Amino acid sequence: MTGGLRIALPAGALFEDACRLLAAAGVAEIDPARLDRQLSLVTRSATVVKVRPTDVPVYVEMGACDAGIVGKDILWESPRDCYELVDLRFGACRLVLAAPEGSPLTRGSFPRSLRAATKYPVAARRHFDSMGLAVELIKLHGSVELAPAMGLADCVVDITASGRTLTANHLVEVAEAGRSTARLISNQASLKTRSGAVNQLAAALRRTVMGVDIGPGSAPPARGGRSAP
Amino acid sequence: MSALQSPARGRAGGFVDWIGAAAQRRRAVTEALVDTFASWGYEYLATPLVEPLETVAAGVGGGLQTQLFRFMDADGSLLALVGERTVSVARVVATQLQGSPPPLRLCYAGPVLFNRAPLGGRRREAMQAGCELIGHPGLAADAECIAVAAAALERAGIAGVQIDVGHADFVPSLLDSANLDAASRARVAEALRARDLVAVEEALRGTEAGDAERELLLAFPTLRGGREILDTAGSRITAPRPRRVLADLAELWTVLDRHGITASVHLDLGAVRDWDYYTGPTFELFSADLGWPLGTGGRYDRLLEAFGAGAPATGFVLHVDRCCDALLRGAGENGGAPVLRLGYAAEQAREALTVASRLRGAGVAVALDLEPSVLRPGEPLGDGRAHLDGGGFRWRLRGREGGGLDALLAASAEDAG
Repeated sequence: MTGGLRIALPAGALFEDACRLLAAAGVAEIDPARLDRQLSLVTRSATVVKVRPTDVPVYVEMGACDAGIVGKDILWESPRDCYELVDLRFGACRLVLAAPEGSPLTRGSFPRSLRAATKYPVAARRHFDSMGLAVELIKLHGSVELAPAMGLADCVVDITASGRTLTANHLVEVAEAGRSTARLISNQASLKTRSGAVNQLAAALRRTVMGVDIGPGSAPPARGGRSAP
Repeated sequence: MSALQSPARGRAGGFVDWIGAAAQRRRAVTEALVDTFASWGYEYLATPLVEPLETVAAGVGGGLQTQLFRFMDADGSLLALVGERTVSVARVVATQLQGSPPPLRLCYAGPVLFNRAPLGGRRREAMQAGCELIGHPGLAADAECIAVAAAALERAGIAGVQIDVGHADFVPSLLDSANLDAASRARVAEALRARDLVAVEEALRGTEAGDAERELLLAFPTLRGGREILDTAGSRITAPRPRRVLADLAELWTVLDRHGITASVHLDLGAVRDWDYYTGPTFELFSADLGWPLGTGGRYDRLLEAFGAGAPATGFVLHVDRCCDALLRGAGENGGAPVLRLGYAAEQAREALTVASRLRGAGVAVALDLEPSVLRPGEPLGDGRAHLDGGGFRWRLRGREGGGLDALLAASAEDAG
């Protein structure tokens, strides 16, 4: 039904849920283990490729794929010329500002000069701007929680799903800077030149996430929204 | 100095050297587009690569200003390399061409530049060719622009072009009639601008938006189709402004039908365009082989006011490099003329010049060898080669071969026809 669409899936945390969703929606039966080995898979209804999460919007914007599944957190950092069609509701996580236990930040007091470590400089900048704070951002590529303990930064802006990593590193959430879930995105031309197939894909995924549990890690139950247009 | 040590071998990121067949294709496509514009009566004009920053800022996508190459003039004022050329045409119309009897039909072709981060896969220099039809407020002008753009792409050899026609006032008028408070309206408009339908849904949730408007705003990627989509949408809308848009599009469809191009036209009510710039019908051209529009256009009745010479205007731009990409991906091919390399024996050096000259006059591209050569009897010629010696003139071109100049002229005339 989705007529040979090329779909990009993100490797990593969202990958298995994305495969389950495509299967549950009747788009494509994909064995995650197989896609692990060969990176691309041609089924009767779609060609599915597995790429780094940050590369999904690149494949879709450039037209190498018609559609993709990617976390909203990725889209914050590298906005691309794509359509964001459906909130797929799984892979839920939050972007939070967190500071060490006992820091004045945890009492709502923000010093004039503040350094924040983050993997998400764009979203962090937007959050601090909205708070009217001029913060020096330090872009890191991993283990952000370590930065305050080592004196690299006063606080962190990072993604958390359960909050366990924060607690383990003696960090306290100060504010929420954003909420992320997986999204279906589409190439701007594909939405026009393959509109039937892309809209069917969007409708099928939307129906599925509204009504059916897609397994572990899935989002909270439907928020009483509307069905597909 | 060895090549590796030479400091002069670098090339700025995001820029391309066009070489060989790619360069030929790019030139041929540009010429096909501009020739089509000329055949519809559009007068060619050339504007500078550099404009004052404030001139550029008046144009489409003021937000794109951060993506321009900017620098300082000798007097300290700011200049920019142009990122699009409509604004330059508008400046010319408002100054040198002021007072010309309308309508003005103008066209251009030239590079535009963007100072965006390299490595994103997007080039920083692009060739654009476009038309502006200035001084006519009616849908006949909008339809003509769409027809010219379609004809130009066809002449450039691009098959199966799809034209999506929308209207810049449809979504804004829907928002205004949707009974939204100012903050929600701004949020929905921003989300639509960002093409983020998830955010549109979030912004509409809990608002007082009327059911018809809400449904249309949420369904917007599916608001596409033929003439019938206007009736579908019309049956749900009562507010006069969006209904006027639908009536405009119905009339535009009729005119496009007279142009004979509705088979490749989709009406797209959810078209997301720069609503601050466009004021009427808008359109985008797509090829199934490419993830980007080949061209975009629309009515922009407010731009000329910015230059103190208000006039209705409509126009479009075609992206030459994307057209070349589409051709490469297989949506047809623009057969560039092959070059015939002509060799000759030393005694025939003078005659070879005459032969080359006659061939060029007949439209055959000829590159003359710089040294005489000997072709042994029976020695085969490679394709695209000819040889002239005491034994006569032999040639081989596009898989055909023969003897004698007249036979070659006849064959190439046949190919051209």
